[in-house]
Amino acid sequence: MLRTCYLTLILFVPATAQVRYEDILKGAGENWLTYAGDYAGRSFSPLTQITAANANSLTPKWVYHIPKARGLRTRPIVYDGVLYATNSNEVRALDARTGRLIWEYKDTRSKKEGANRGAAILGDRIFFVTGDVHLVALDRRNGAMLWQKQYGRVEDGLDATLAPLVVKDKVLVGVSGGDSGMRGYVSAFSALTGEELWRFYTVPKKGEPGSESWGNYVEYGGAATWLSGTFDPALNLVYWTTGNPWPDFYGGERKGDNLYSCSLVALDADTGKMKWYFQFTPHDTHDWDAQAWPVVVDLVFNGKPRKVVVHANRNGFLYVLDRVTGEFLRATKIVDKLDWATGVDAKGRPILVPGKDPTPSGNRACPGVRGATNWMSPSFNPGTGLLYVVTLEQCDVYTSSAKEPEPKKNFAGGGASPKPVELGQFFLRAFDPATGKRVWEYPMTGPAESWAGAFSTAGGVVFFGDDDGHLVAVDAKSGKHLWHFQTGEGLTASPITYMVDGKQHVAIASATAIFAFGLFEPMPVQ
Amino acid sequence: MHLKWFLCVALIALPPLAAQQEAEKTEKKKNPAMGNAEAIAAGKKLYLTSCTVCHGPNGQGGRGPNLRQRGMWHPMDDDALFSTIKKGVPGADMPATNLPDDQIWRIAAFVRSLTAPAFETGAPGNAASGEPLFWGKAGCSNCHAILGRGGMLGPDLSTIGATRSIEDLHESIVDPDADGFPRHKAIRATLKDGRVIEGVARNRTNYSVQVQDKSGKLYRLNMIEVRSLDVSPHSPMPRDFAKKLSSREIEDIVAFLSRQSVRPFESPEKK
Repeated sequence: MLRTCYLTLILFVPATAQVRYEDILKGAGENWLTYAGDYAGRSFSPLTQITAANANSLTPKWVYHIPKARGLRTRPIVYDGVLYATNSNEVRALDARTGRLIWEYKDTRSKKEGANRGAAILGDRIFFVTGDVHLVALDRRNGAMLWQKQYGRVEDGLDATLAPLVVKDKVLVGVSGGDSGMRGYVSAFSALTGEELWRFYTVPKKGEPGSESWGNYVEYGGAATWLSGTFDPALNLVYWTTGNPWPDFYGGERKGDNLYSCSLVALDADTGKMKWYFQFTPHDTHDWDAQAWPVVVDLVFNGKPRKVVVHANRNGFLYVLDRVTGEFLRATKIVDKLDWATGVDAKGRPILVPGKDPTPSGNRACPGVRGATNWMSPSFNPGTGLLYVVTLEQCDVYTSSAKEPEPKKNFAGGGASPKPVELGQFFLRAFDPATGKRVWEYPMTGPAESWAGAFSTAGGVVFFGDDDGHLVAVDAKSGKHLWHFQTGEGLTASPITYMVDGKQHVAIASATAIFAFGLFEPMPVQ
Repeated sequence: MHLKWFLCVALIALPPLAAQQEAEKTEKKKNPAMGNAEAIAAGKKLYLTSCTVCHGPNGQGGRGPNLRQRGMWHPMDDDALFSTIKKGVPGADMPATNLPDDQIWRIAAFVRSLTAPAFETGAPGNAASGEPLFWGKAGCSNCHAILGRGGMLGPDLSTIGATRSIEDLHESIVDPDADGFPRHKAIRATLKDGRVIEGVARNRTNYSVQVQDKSGKLYRLNMIEVRSLDVSPHSPMPRDFAKKLSSREIEDIVAFLSRQSVRPFESPEKK
């Protein structure tokens, strides 16, 4: 009851415009309010000012350099003409029309530097996580700190990199550190007070169901939760993906499926209780975290309308699952270089090719360690019915180590890297999720080092960062090139779109700066 | 997990700190084997009998760590390297050895030469014999230049001895594709106006390509002008040097290249 009162307070004390849960429910529009664009994780905007017909006249509008930034992972959010971008232990609010700084918040306590993927917003509050695993609430108007809560310890092998997910009156976060021998979890906090309301551990305690799938090291199983999930408000379920089991490349001490690593878990948004799970890669030894968010889509599957989640996984398969029950419906390949499994059986379990595990002398397997795709944003466009996925065709030589695993230290039990002559290649691929068929692809050039994803619009355009540092626009129906811009450095974040002063903008973080673009118009006389 | 971590964490075999400190106390004096070409050659022979089973004949790794990629193993100083070979790595598969110290120093000198610049370690071949081969029979200078003399297409070798190890230099000659040859893709562009441009791609994206031909002329092509583009999967460098030249000649060229640095060469024996 008290919680409801708090929520009412948040929603109905508007000195200025405030972000309500109902606003987030509507998805992207003039604003871009969540990391994935909307709760469904479609990374889709209904904006139509920029179209396939006029995208070739896009021009840069502003650039904001973030001091000392290296390899920015931030995907900004935008509300009411203000863009919020994060860096390691920092948040900045920028005028979304001019790129001018409005305020900045630098966390003075956290000594743990690292990637940060973005912020979340509710009411008048901005939420973000620090490298040393604190959730911080700031006043969105001036960056003043309202509260901060520690929800994990660096000494326990944890850190935090994700953009939080606001669900109703709660802020959901996860943890990184799956290569260190830790135990992953998703936590929900009150947006108002910072009180922790529930926590779901992705590795069961010894004796709990699922713990028998681990052997030794169950306390340090990993299954990190470093990418925020998606949400179905009608089912009240949060869909969250989990990372690799630990040690990453050596499975000899953790015989079994290693639940719930490399999985998708469906959690009750109010209690954090698991309704179902689906494991993509049982007993993973290739570090194929499942971190690529599940996209909530309704589609006609085998002649029947189904509520599904569609998920492109590092292991090379595109999965369709019933999102009410977790029932496996289909898996199809998203890459050609896939040799660890011949396919997926009727229950969704991979049919393994023997002898693809890492070995002390090195064993080549495909996809590579960064996966057939990864956390870079996919996009689903209801207009074309297509799912756009950045994919990587690469094989790596996987090595395992004889060294005794040391929990809480960065130790992966081996390693993986491509042969220098066998570097991978990125493609943007469009799939029909109803059939799993590849409809078109856009091959990229570059050093195979990208982490940039995509969004698409009702204007019929897909925007994505390519492997050569370009922001690229292609036709959503055909994949035909429309426009590109060279940012001058490698891209490690996904783009967004928003409207300010009646004009549609596109923004992306490069390694060190935020770039914003809009349609060309002559500058007005000052 | 990010790629750089793989490089850092992969295949680590750290010597215990205590062992390092002990080695520092007892073996502070620089051993003459380090950087001595003859000692390196002798160390290689010992390495091939004792170490190659785990670390591979060229130090490329196997059961044990890759010794050629510095990121893959601890950047040990000479004494720690000696101590690791002598005492092994407790808790891992690396055993201790009974070899006398002078032989261990030779192995250490060889292992160091796998990663240290060839200019510092010295190379076993004869640089004076390698020089005319480079400018003449081997044909290296058709594509490579040293201090402004030589060809344009290949990488400049004026300071190559200061940046590459002996093994790297050797590998580049006998297996030019091994390092992935970035920035030197052989390319043939047929333009829509009928012109054909052949050379090396200094850079290439979906939208433009920067081609340099044998004469050094640079073509900055917009891909809209290009009808077809053939990119060779191989390095433009010939792949038959191991057949055309004797192993002695290749060793001599490596020795010549190992001297190429802006620093004056000083024989390790005189240090």
